[in-house]
Amino acid sequence: MAHKGTGTFVMQRASAVLLVPLVIWFLVSVVSHAGDSFVEMKTWLSNPLVSIPFAAFVIIGSFHGRIGLSEVIVDYIHSWLRDVLLILSWIVTLGVWALAVWSVYQLSFAG
Amino acid sequence: MAASPLPHADKPLSPHLQIWRFTVTMAASITHRGTGVALYAGTALLAFWLIAVAQGPGFFYPIGGFLTSLPGMAILGGYIWALSFHLMNGLRYLYWDSGRGFDPKMARMTSWLVYVGSIALTALIFFLGYSARGGV
Repeated sequence: MAHKGTGTFVMQRASAVLLVPLVIWFLVSVVSHAGDSFVEMKTWLSNPLVSIPFAAFVIIGSFHGRIGLSEVIVDYIHSWLRDVLLILSWIVTLGVWALAVWSVYQLSFAG
Repeated sequence: MAASPLPHADKPLSPHLQIWRFTVTMAASITHRGTGVALYAGTALLAFWLIAVAQGPGFFYPIGGFLTSLPGMAILGGYIWALSFHLMNGLRYLYWDSGRGFDPKMARMTSWLVYVGSIALTALIFFLGYSARGGV
């Protein structure tokens, strides 16, 4: 158990570094697509060069977020609820990953 | 604390809030956590937004309509500010990880900078976004 934390520490930093360009790209996209209609939005997102980074932002973001959330849970919850919340944080993250992967498939690769 | 089978459960904890005297660096640390938790939820919502676009207009219009309403804009604005703050303060932490930037005066100054910068960036994004829509 003693060395488990080092891997998490490195994963948190590594995902943070990957997220820096993805967040900047996402914020620029919010500005440039603020006025889009549904059709414009869907056309833009159907391009795999857009849907893949978008999903990467969501997937890496929720991975990084789960590490941070687990730190907060472990700091403040000391009962059996702690383990329940830690498992829940994984379930939510896996659900988000599934949604993101399915979205990319539907937007850019299905028929 | 009872031993736990889960990997996160037996690690050292952060010091608790009440033992600290208020400083802006402490405020930035708390805000980093707060925005982080909010972003975890916000990113889950963003995944639902994405799947709604993929599914088609029937799924998208209720969500898209909500986002242009006042509560929707408040959530969107909060998400964008949280993202801006967490990005800027996160860059500050990555710089700290390199072993630099720990001088207290510098740390206080960069904390203020992150607050001012993230609010300014959010305002800029909303201003440019509204301009792109051709005004309100």
